[in-house]
Amino acid sequence: MKYLSVASVLAVVAIASPAFADGETIAVFTKNQTNPYFQNVRVGTEAAAKALNVKVLQYIPTKPDSIPEQMSQVEDVIIKKPNAIVFVPVDYKALVPGVEKMNAANIPVVNFIDRIAGGQTVSFIGADDYSIAITSARHLLKAMNGTGNVVIIEGVKGSLTNVDRMRGFNDALKEFSNVKLLASQPGNYQRLQALQVMENLMQSFPKIDGVLAANDAMAVGAIEALEGANRKAHIIGINGTKEAVDLIKAGKMLASGDYNGFVQGCLAMTVAVRHLRGQPVPKEVLLKPVVVDKTNYQPYETPVEQRACPKLEDLTN
Amino acid sequence: MSAVTQAAPARRGLSRESVQFAWRVAAALAVCIALSLLSDAFLTTNNLLNVLRQTALLFLMASGLTLVILTAGLDLSVGANIGLSACLAAIIIKSTGSPWLGVATGVGCGAAVGLLNGVLVTALRVPAFVATYGMMWLILGATYFYMGGETVHGFPPSFRQFGSGYFLGVPIPIYMMLLFLMLGTLFAQRTVWGQQIYAIGANPVAARLSGIPVERRLVLVYVVSGAMAGLASLILLARVNSAEADIGEHFTLPAIAAVVIGGTSLFGGSGTIVGTLIGALILTLVVNGMNLLQINASWQPLVTGVIILFAVWFDIRARRSGN
Repeated sequence: MKYLSVASVLAVVAIASPAFADGETIAVFTKNQTNPYFQNVRVGTEAAAKALNVKVLQYIPTKPDSIPEQMSQVEDVIIKKPNAIVFVPVDYKALVPGVEKMNAANIPVVNFIDRIAGGQTVSFIGADDYSIAITSARHLLKAMNGTGNVVIIEGVKGSLTNVDRMRGFNDALKEFSNVKLLASQPGNYQRLQALQVMENLMQSFPKIDGVLAANDAMAVGAIEALEGANRKAHIIGINGTKEAVDLIKAGKMLASGDYNGFVQGCLAMTVAVRHLRGQPVPKEVLLKPVVVDKTNYQPYETPVEQRACPKLEDLTN
Repeated sequence: MSAVTQAAPARRGLSRESVQFAWRVAAALAVCIALSLLSDAFLTTNNLLNVLRQTALLFLMASGLTLVILTAGLDLSVGANIGLSACLAAIIIKSTGSPWLGVATGVGCGAAVGLLNGVLVTALRVPAFVATYGMMWLILGATYFYMGGETVHGFPPSFRQFGSGYFLGVPIPIYMMLLFLMLGTLFAQRTVWGQQIYAIGANPVAARLSGIPVERRLVLVYVVSGAMAGLASLILLARVNSAEADIGEHFTLPAIAAVVIGGTSLFGGSGTIVGTLIGALILTLVVNGMNLLQINASWQPLVTGVIILFAVWFDIRARRSGN
């Protein structure tokens, strides 16, 4: 009898003892509810969480990209004390104190998408704006056979993503000396503004062969402007949104640089959980840029909710 | 203000406002002349039609807003309203395949939001700034939630005619601009209700004492402002061929700017619909000019600011010389 009870107690203790068995809680922070990119990111984190048997808490500012709101959500999460946090700052400098608070509370932080400028993080998972831009631009310039006229439609002048994407576009242009850059004008990542800017540029330049747009929304605006004027040009955007994939399939858009939010979400969650379970994780995972075009768009047609997370090993280089 | 002045505002108002209007037209002309000298592409038919079409969209957004500002009110929910109306219209068009149902939805949604604004301002006596600001958040939240970060794109060609179509070689939005310019001006200048709106803005107490149903007129102007935002959202939708939750966010301030640059006083009681058109035109010319002259993106906010301040300075000079 005594042995049985001791054995049963030992058995219960043995089952219950691992400090971080399945069922951990991971808090995920994203920037806003409006950008479909972050929706894909969240779906990625949920997909990985389901596969790894952990719970997810999503923290999203109601006012898009709001610094004070994200800061107060950080303070909330510290009180809730999840096992780990997967975090993209709405501002890579302003949220440093937030990450430091998480460090002080001993909650491990996995940083993804935008690199935080300070604080301790377990790992960074991201895609590089510069390499996506330069790869996409090269794709366009090759499709133009290295000659012709190109215009650039820029994003928001002060933003970090825009600085890197412009550098990428301009460096690609340097590699193709027979291509002439006619103009570089801001569309502020807005659809209508890009449309109107393109309309205006078409007045000055009767021959435009290529358009480098810093995001898909602006690329779509430029396509509408060109169609309205019965003109054609090769166009690339960045983000790999569903809208872009549909236009690529229809032959109206050349390509879009894939900023794969779904995969980043998957990987960041995977890294966080592995770290909690004592497994080794890479300090940094930089996704290789993929340009989505007519040849490889099929996987992107599957809605994110139905996609499976890729394996971490397949993507670390 | 004495009763005598109140009794005959029409004659005095018109002549002073004619002078100010002339100054404003001169400002717009100055920009046009400068641009035609600096760029070969400016004075072409295509470019001018583009500029007018771009102006038309901004004008339609700002036209109803002019009436609101004439009553010394404000509508900060214009952008959010545009977003909600565009998204709802988009979904209706996609699911029913009927462009006209989409149009009805867009305008109806815009008007409904306007009605809510009007009720908040009159029945609940919430100051217009706060009421419409709060409304903006409400609508944005509802739109974000409903759209869930998705974009609805690809609309039937019959619907797209609204924004991208031509009639007799002129883009359709320009006809709409002229239509609502005419309707708006007739309403504001030639109907009793229109004159009552000016009176409410000039002196709400005197207006009420002289028997004007102030609350009903206020609700009317907010409904009109909302309905025009709804209409504008349809043209926007037809032009860009997609709808997403934040599609309208960037139009609120430009719409207000168009009204104010057009000479309508934020204190109410003076201004014109055609002034708003000139204001919208000036704002559109600035962007057109910067694109044609390829002004570096870093300088563009500065240039925009300088030209707007210049246009407003013209106006202040006119007011001073008029008095």
